[in-house]
Order: sequence, then structure tokens, then C-alpha cells
Amino acid sequence: MSVDAEVNENDLAEMVEQVWMSYLDPEGVSPLIPTYDENQPSEVHSSVSITGSWTGHVVYASSTAAARRAAAAFLALETDEVSQDDLADVLGELANIVGGNVKAMLPPGALLSLPQVVLAPDSAARYPNAERISGVYGVWDGEPVSVSMWQSRSDNKEEEDA
Amino acid sequence: MKILIADDSRVMRQIVVRTLRQAGFGDHDLIEAADGRQAFDMAKAESPDLIISDWNMPEMTGVEVLRQLRATGDDVRFGFVTSECTPEMQQQAEAAGALFFIVKPFTAERFDEVFAPILG
Repeated sequence: MSVDAEVNENDLAEMVEQVWMSYLDPEGVSPLIPTYDENQPSEVHSSVSITGSWTGHVVYASSTAAARRAAAAFLALETDEVSQDDLADVLGELANIVGGNVKAMLPPGALLSLPQVVLAPDSAARYPNAERISGVYGVWDGEPVSVSMWQSRSDNKEEEDA
Repeated sequence: MKILIADDSRVMRQIVVRTLRQAGFGDHDLIEAADGRQAFDMAKAESPDLIISDWNMPEMTGVEVLRQLRATGDDVRFGFVTSECTPEMQQQAEAAGALFFIVKPFTAERFDEVFAPILG
């Protein structure tokens, strides 16, 4: 039997809004506009894994242009000054921030991994035995950005073990 | 005043520095450590007046750094800036002698609220 995560789409949306307010859009002029399209494309992504009271992944995915813009906002640079390292570090930090906030809402006994960054679409990740349970999908200045939660399926493991 | 910022994420150290400046604390002497061990060593070598630390870091976690400092009789002002904030962590931080617990993402207003009484 799977245990439902105690974090729903509204919670995720609130976390995302706080990230925008604090770092990506402090002036409040360029919010993430929801598309509700879970199949929107991405070019880069980052994730943290959570194990324990809930087991799964929190994934941040976006276009390269949106990642570059996020890195520029985080590091107070112009977008053309952003290096590949800047881009990867900022993507990792974004997954870490949202993952840490998700962890704080879970029952005690959850462990957060260090972030992993992949400069390829999130569809390339293929989290084994995990299904997407919620997500926030939107466009930021016309560029796709999403944050999604993938829950590990313990029933799949049991089937494999049988 | 000397402030040590300990975080394994270069991006986050940069953001903490920038947010301190935005909140009006940029005139202080800001130094950085990239993991827990380095934070402990720099706390000993540099005698900062305040340590702002991440929780999850390689080598030593932030709370281990704090406990070890207290165990050596060092009562430097110490607090956490972390994306994880569970009640257990807050209790551990408080029991170890932390002064504050700031959750990421944070704003300059939040920094001002926490650091104005400490830094004056």
C-alpha cells in the first residue's frame, strides 16, 4: 500500500511562489504563469531524493534559457555572463530549496539527498518505480519551468521481489 | 564585526552575502567556509563574532560544528540558514545553543529581523 505524500499541489505552488518572491522575481513583475501542462518540454533538470517517511524525488525542470535566467537572478549576473557551472549550481540549489521545504512538511524521519543536476530534459531521467504524484507547471517569461514530485512505488518492488 | 558564512553551496554563500548587504550589514567583515570542517577550523583560527551556517554540509554538519565549538568552550554567536526546517532540527539547534533558524528561501526583510538585534 502506498502512503500518500502530505504535500499537495497547492503546497508546491506556495513553495515555488516563495522562491520567485525571494530570488527570481523579487520585484513581483515576472511571476511563473501556470500552464497546468505536465507534458511541457524541458531542456535541463535537477532533483533531490527523499527517503524514509516518504520516498521519492523532487524535480525542478526548465528550458536552458529559463535556467540561465534563474542563474543570472541568483548570482546577480547578466544572462550572457552565466557559465555552465553557474547554471548547474543554481539548478542544484533550486532542487535543494524546494526539496528541503517538501521534507519539512513530511512526517519525521525523512532524509534529503544532495542535489543531482542533469543538463538534459527531465524525461531523460526515467525514475524507476516512481510515479508523478503532483507538480507545478508554468512559463516564466515565456519559458517552461516545472517542479514535480515523484513517489516511489513500493508495490512495484514487491512485484519484482515476488 | 567578523561574520563567517558556512555553506557547501557556492551559490547560497553568494546569496547570503548579497542578502546581508541588502539588509544593510555589508560593512561587516564577511568570510566564507565551504564545508563543516572548514567552518570549525575557521571559527578557531579567525574568531568570528557571528557564524551563519547551513545544516547539511560535507565533513561535518552545521549542528556538529556548533556542538564541537561549544564543547571546546567557544560561545560564538551561531545560527542556521537552511532549506530544511523540521521541528526536530529546530529543537536540536536550540539545544546545541543556536541563536536563530532562517529557512530558505529567505528575504532581506527576514535577515534584517534576525540580524538587527544581533549586529545592531
